[in-house]
Amino acid sequence: MQFFKTKKGRLWTWLLVLLIGGVLVWGTHHDAAIYHDPIMQVTSVRTGATTKETDDFHNVDAQTKQTLQGKILNGTYKGQRLTVTNTYSKSGAMDQRYRIGSQLFVVVHERSGDTLTATAKDMKRDTPLVFMIWLVVGLLLLIMQFSGFMAFLSVAANGVLFLMAILLNGSTQGAQVLWIFGSLAVVFAALTLWLVLGANRQMLITLATTLGGTAFAIVTALLVFHFTHEKGMYYESMQYVTQLPRPLFLAETLLGSLGAVMDESTDIISSLFALKRERPELSANQVFKSGRQIGSTIMGPLINVLFFIFVADTFPMAMLYLKNGNSWGYTFSMNMSMGVIQSLISGIGIVLAVPLASFLASRFMEKKVRA
Amino acid sequence: MSTISALGLILLILMILVGGKAGAQSFLALILNFGLLYLAIVLVAFQFSPLIVTLVVGMLVLALTIFMSSGDDLSSTVAFIASAAVLVVLVILIVPVEHWAMVQGFGPEDSEDLEGLSVLVGVNFVQVTTATAILSTLGAIAEAAMAISAGLSEILEQHPQVTLKALLGDGIAVGKQIIGTTFNTLFFGFFGGFLALFIWFTGVHYSVGEILNDKIFVSEILMILFAMVSVILTVPITTWVMTRAVAGQRKRAVKGQEKQE
Repeated sequence: MQFFKTKKGRLWTWLLVLLIGGVLVWGTHHDAAIYHDPIMQVTSVRTGATTKETDDFHNVDAQTKQTLQGKILNGTYKGQRLTVTNTYSKSGAMDQRYRIGSQLFVVVHERSGDTLTATAKDMKRDTPLVFMIWLVVGLLLLIMQFSGFMAFLSVAANGVLFLMAILLNGSTQGAQVLWIFGSLAVVFAALTLWLVLGANRQMLITLATTLGGTAFAIVTALLVFHFTHEKGMYYESMQYVTQLPRPLFLAETLLGSLGAVMDESTDIISSLFALKRERPELSANQVFKSGRQIGSTIMGPLINVLFFIFVADTFPMAMLYLKNGNSWGYTFSMNMSMGVIQSLISGIGIVLAVPLASFLASRFMEKKVRA
Repeated sequence: MSTISALGLILLILMILVGGKAGAQSFLALILNFGLLYLAIVLVAFQFSPLIVTLVVGMLVLALTIFMSSGDDLSSTVAFIASAAVLVVLVILIVPVEHWAMVQGFGPEDSEDLEGLSVLVGVNFVQVTTATAILSTLGAIAEAAMAISAGLSEILEQHPQVTLKALLGDGIAVGKQIIGTTFNTLFFGFFGGFLALFIWFTGVHYSVGEILNDKIFVSEILMILFAMVSVILTVPITTWVMTRAVAGQRKRAVKGQEKQE
């Protein structure tokens, strides 16, 4: 750690990360050997005929056949050459256009005579994934140095916890999803705040605000669901649902709003602690007032952050609905309404956290904040 | 009353109670942002180029979010210029990576939702997915740029004579404070949204290799990573724009004094 704080130490660490990352990115391009499924590298492409397609809604598209030649990189068929045909469309929503050098997973069928026959399954994508992770870590260390490392560590720790919770949820067949992710939220918040603030009174106040704000939002949502009889909520429009949708939806909303409420309460409470440090003569009421003022300037942009995360994701599907002749209203209901409801519930949590943070900070802050 | 309008009404009332006029304004900005997002989808469905639509709508969203929330002129202007610059840099990064990873459109996991829909609609889905990734980070860019420029303008208020070099260091220091918590907002926001997908992966027993190369998984993780890159880049870019703005102001002030003399 001490080494990391010197200029030379930082430079070396950064170069090391750069190098290791480069090796990893290069490695994923040549890691076919560790995959079980056969991977083919394309060496030549012959483009066939293009046919024009028009669907019932007068959308015009073009489909092209291509013949790919390449060799298998791994497994029992390693080194063998084979030919695969593939069809891609101009829009490419469900298909891929492969180029020379592309690596793709193939399904090899039993050999008939001397030649192998196979069908293309999907593109190999781990290299761009690792490249982007490398870019994020490199930039974090370059610009944020040690705190960048801590930020990354807290995201990584939360990622591991998240994975464990999902496995736990799987082993209970999803019956306890809300309880699992509800208690996970408490652990998430405590761990993250401990990493960011350390174990002290400020952290405890922030934790209480975070949990309180999120809990208020969920309770409000449940009350509203009860009184409106969930009118206009289309659980069937949720994607990838494999278990009871309602608790899953609540768990998603709970997790989604947790981060933003935590972000906000950290900001408000640390500003209030700093304020009290500079001007210890401020009364609890004055502290409460400034907390409300700080909070009301940051709540809007924060709700926006979550809104774009929840709703922008539905862009491709919503566009497809419109292209398939659905009305604007139906497209909204079937794609965006659940995301909007999630943003609204999170928004309620974010707004409620403002008075809560200001109140808790103003009452439970030490009389004299240590510098 | 439908659930959406009831929740919306409660949010509006709470925002006014807590933030007064600023709260009402933020709520209005939220509604306008929704309108812009929907407009973008409709325009793309009418065969406008997804990338150009996203750039124009993106600039409008940034302007709306930044100028409609309370803040002094200097910090709002700086935040807008900086976030617009980040948006452009982000487009330059996202376009080649999306072409490389080929995560456009839908995956096999979507087939149930796609039943009865024609997917050959003649819109370039690489561009649509790029547009989705850009749009989903807009809120984060605006928030980070505003937080940093507001922090810096407060420092300028307290120490009006601070040197430009010290201001540059201050910007990074403010950035360090916000980056940790902003990452958490992004992490939980995105993972909350993808919870169902991840449960699907473990339920259907995908192998690690299958998950790491899955179209939908890679596309979602790339979205988080793009958002993180944009937030990291916002720190130095906003700080730099702020020092340029302050340098310009000081030059003008000196010139003004010379004229008076």
